Amino acid sequence: MKQLAPALVMASGRRKSIPVRIPTDWTGIIFAVVLSAAVILPLLVVGVWAFTEVWRYPNVIPQQFGLRFWNQTLTRADVWSALTLSLQLSTVVTLLSAAICLPAAYAFARLSFPGRNVLFFSFLAGHAFPKFGLLIAIAAIFLQLNLIGTFWGVVLIQLVGTLLFMIWIPVAAFQSVDRRMEEAARDVGAGPFRVFWSITLPQAGPTIAAAVLLSFVGTFYETEGAWLIGAPGIRTMPVLMISFINNQMVIQYGAVLSVMLWVPSFIALMFARRVIGGGAFARGFGG
Amino acid sequence: MTDAAPAAPRPLIDSNDSRRPTGLLLVAIPVFLVGWLVIWPIINAIVRTLWRPDESGAIGFNLDSYVFFFSDQYSINNLTITLWTTLMCAILLLVICLPISLYLRFSAGRLPAYVQAMAIFPMFVPSIILAYAFIRVLGPNGMVDILLNSVGLPKIRTPYLTPWGPVIGLVWDNIPLTVLILLSGLGNVANQAIEAARDVGANRLQVFWHIILPRISNSVLVAISFAVLGIFSSFTLPYLLGPASPEMMGPFMNRTFREVNDPLNAITQAVITFCFCIAFGLFYVRSVARNQGK
Repeated sequence: MKQLAPALVMASGRRKSIPVRIPTDWTGIIFAVVLSAAVILPLLVVGVWAFTEVWRYPNVIPQQFGLRFWNQTLTRADVWSALTLSLQLSTVVTLLSAAICLPAAYAFARLSFPGRNVLFFSFLAGHAFPKFGLLIAIAAIFLQLNLIGTFWGVVLIQLVGTLLFMIWIPVAAFQSVDRRMEEAARDVGAGPFRVFWSITLPQAGPTIAAAVLLSFVGTFYETEGAWLIGAPGIRTMPVLMISFINNQMVIQYGAVLSVMLWVPSFIALMFARRVIGGGAFARGFGG
Repeated sequence: MTDAAPAAPRPLIDSNDSRRPTGLLLVAIPVFLVGWLVIWPIINAIVRTLWRPDESGAIGFNLDSYVFFFSDQYSINNLTITLWTTLMCAILLLVICLPISLYLRFSAGRLPAYVQAMAIFPMFVPSIILAYAFIRVLGPNGMVDILLNSVGLPKIRTPYLTPWGPVIGLVWDNIPLTVLILLSGLGNVANQAIEAARDVGANRLQVFWHIILPRISNSVLVAISFAVLGIFSSFTLPYLLGPASPEMMGPFMNRTFREVNDPLNAITQAVITFCFCIAFGLFYVRSVARNQGK
């Protein structure tokens, strides 16, 4: 999920230019059919399982549909505590990340200071190493600091995961603000704060909001850091899902959780994709 | 952390040197976090595994944990399965994504738009949900078995809990990024170059081999680097879909650290994964930095 941000922009940045009439696009039809089967079918099966009460092999469709397992899943105490904890974690991480990254992004976009370029690219460091190896190295340090299994240990590990796109996307947003409008506002006597509030923020705002949203969703689904650093005390939603997949005999619990958690995040991500747009971050991808 | 936030409304243009410390101050906390939680753990891991007490208790240069790793058959098997999985995923990703990207680059309309949407879609699916869906579809008595059975065919040999389980899951997970990187590379291939080649009688394969491939080779390498970095030490999908033994480096490190409770050997394994991926990591950083600098 962490790599979402750059890629989202890339997806929307491409536009085809040459309309060509082709009689029947067999290649396209084959791709469309195969990809639909490989991508949509698995999710469809999960969706069906969530609303199934009885589905015995080898029936193609379930014998009995119903909402019984929604009721059972939602009354489980471990589901509620994991959900609360995940929401708390995501909120804390996103707020902290915004508080430290947005001023930094502004500085990278607008101020000149020694070492600016090196520091800007230093945020790539976390992505240049195999992630789980890096997590193990961090966990070894947290072990000495007694941060393993604590809320703040998980906050730290997830905070580091949000840094790259919480800085790079807002930097692109600040850079794309029309400087002439800011200068014009200054010329007619607006103070620096007024200029920031009335000119800079409204233009950069939607992109920054999308970055914040991505950071929230990405943190919510962050699995590996929470698993390695958080266990056994901190059970987030993805960690609970792992234990459901490994040890839970009732198939529907996992299906209900998947549907329940995935739909809101999908809507949020579609919104983010629409807002970022314009290829603002496409160059940052190395392609 | 609170002192940085109110400083956001800064003046617009800062060419004068008097503001230099302000910029550094604003970026200080994120940079400190990268230093403390990315750079320092890596240095610390390397130093701790190389510079430590030997049997007599004297602290010094000591390669024992690495010698143990490379003489332990179980560790070697885990490393081999990781290399195999990474290689398989890289090959499959290219075989699947290159044709899709080529198709998307050279066609227009609603159908390609749909194909692109489908190819990007897995990005919106968290890998934990993917793992669950995989088991329901390809697992024992899963949807594929049900469909095969309904048309009178025998069951498949399920890839769940075999080395192919993580391969399928990881390829599925990495298709969107690979397609996007390849597409952005194909955007640099000029239509004129292709038309010129066709005018002198080149067929499709020749156009691909002599015109397109040289121009996108960098993107192919970036896509591969990106995929390798993600796959080599992946944890969630191999842990949930792969076999218990041999296991990939991700689950192996996790088990050494948490269940065997042996941080030293876990860090050694981590440093070994760094060494295997260093070339890809450097290449990735170089490409991103170069693109950003344009």
